[in-house]
Order: sequence, then structure tokens, then C-alpha cells
Amino acid sequence: MSGRDYLGEFEHIIVLALLRLEDRAYGVTVRQEIELRTHREVSIGAVYATLNRLETKGFVKSHCGDPTPERGGRSKRFFRVTAKGVSAVNRTQRALQSMTEGLDLVRSYS
Amino acid sequence: MTSQPQIVQPPRVAVRLVNLFSSDKEAETIEGDLLEEYTHIASKRGASFARRWYWRQTAKTIAHLAGTAYRTAPWSTTSAIVGGFLLRRLTARFVEPAIFAVIDRYQIFEHHFSTYRFLASTGIDIGHILVFLFVGWVVALGAKGREMVATMTLGLIFGAMAVIAVLVMVSRTGDGAFLWRLTWYFADSFALVIGGAIVRTHRSAATARPSIA
Repeated sequence: MSGRDYLGEFEHIIVLALLRLEDRAYGVTVRQEIELRTHREVSIGAVYATLNRLETKGFVKSHCGDPTPERGGRSKRFFRVTAKGVSAVNRTQRALQSMTEGLDLVRSYS
Repeated sequence: MTSQPQIVQPPRVAVRLVNLFSSDKEAETIEGDLLEEYTHIASKRGASFARRWYWRQTAKTIAHLAGTAYRTAPWSTTSAIVGGFLLRRLTARFVEPAIFAVIDRYQIFEHHFSTYRFLASTGIDIGHILVFLFVGWVVALGAKGREMVATMTLGLIFGAMAVIAVLVMVSRTGDGAFLWRLTWYFADSFALVIGGAIVRTHRSAATARPSIA
């Protein structure tokens, strides 16, 4: 198993957002979901840079939707997590859980 | 009767900048995403708040796109930058001889002294700007898909070199007038980026597909 099988911090957040949004996941909804849950301002460029990287690794797949008037006739690019992506998020979650197991983070380090 | 959603136009310069830095594949989706959110924010919080949001998103998006463009092809981007640096060194030495050849050929010194003065001073600076424009164009041709990153990096390198050179001159001679030269040197760097933008725009137009408005 190599480091490529694990997700980076922002990659992890993006994949979790895609899993939450299911078939509604495109740039705008992903960005808003992350801002809503993490209270961190994210740029659309950061979202696409990470999504493109995840697609290259085979963790997500994308397809273009139909052009819509509210987007000035431009189409949406929808994303979904692949089976390989789900495995990667599970592996990363397990690694994080195993690293934090037994640590009383609030009491010991706050 | 159904009402069409009203689209408020985002800042044109910001839209143009995002287009210049994004690949042809990304440009349509990023622009569409930004427009969709911009329209929503403008209707909820007003146009000036939405414009500020759009500019903030543009700045951050450009930084990410530039970083990604460099990371995905570091060697070809670096080669284009180094090639551009060497090309500029090679071509810049011909500017003055070329201008003085024109002056001699048409006997401008004898017949049009004011034109001679212009060509021998400002004309040389304009010649250098044209050389930088040409170098930017060549660098962008070599750095396909990363035209703006390559030309902007080279522009920053030349800009930084010019600042150092001028500061050294000022400290050696004590003559603050050298600082005015920086305007020409910055114009050179700007011309380099313009060269990149011309190639990028031309390539985008060539690959653009008609969208349904």
C-alpha cells in the first residue's frame, strides 16, 4: 500500500462532500457544502484542482449535464465517487481513527 | 407566461482573467459555476457585495489554476521559461542596431532631427517592448495549456531583475532618475504577458464550441 492510496486533507473533505451530495454534486454545491460544514471559505479553483486530481487517480468520475439559462448557457460538470474512491476514503478514515484512538484530544492538548 | 431568471453580469475583467488561466475543458464549467453563484448572491445581498465575492473567488481561483498548471507539467513549463529567457537575450541585442540601421538608411539624422531623437531614445524602448511581446508569444506557443503561467513567471523574473539592476544603479550613482526606467522595464514584462494572452485567446477561440444562450 502506498501513500497514493490515502487521501490528503482537502481530498478527503471533497470526497465526503460528493458522498453527501450524491447525484447533485457539481462545483457550486460541492463548494457550498464544504463552506456550510467546515466554515472555511473555499474557492471554486481549489475545488476543481482537487476534483481533477481525484479524477486522474480514479477516485471520482465526471460527466457534463445540459446547459442551463441561469449559467448563461453553460453546462454543469457532475461528479460521483468511484468504488476505488470509496475504498480510499474508508482507508483514510480508518487510518485517522487508529491514529486518534486512545487520545483524549480535548483534555490533553487544548 | 414564464419568467426567465435574470442574469446580472459579473465583472468582465475578472471573467476574462479566469478564462485566460483555465484550460478549455475547465473554462466553461468554472465560468458557469461562478455566474450561477454570483447571480444568487447578487439577488440576495446586492450587486456590490456579489462583485467583491466574484473578485475574491477570481484571485483565489487563478492562484490555484496557476499552481496546478505548473505542478502538472513542471519540466515543459520550466523549459519554456528558460527558452524564453535565452531568446530574449539573443534578440534584444539586435534592437539598437536595427533602429540605427533604419536611421542611416533613410538619413533621418540629417533631415528629421526630432524623429531621430525620438527613435534613438523612446524608439529603442518601444523596440524592446516589441521584442518582449514576441518572446511572450513564442513562450506561450511552447507552453500549450500553461501559456499564462509561463509568461507571467518570466515576466516576474525580468521585473525582479530590473528592480535589482535599477536599485544597484541608484545606489552607485545616487541618481534617483534611474527609477523612472522601471516604468519601461515593467512595460516590457507586461508586453511579455500580453504575448501569452494573445496566444491563449487565439487557442481558446479555436477550440471554443458554440453554447446555448
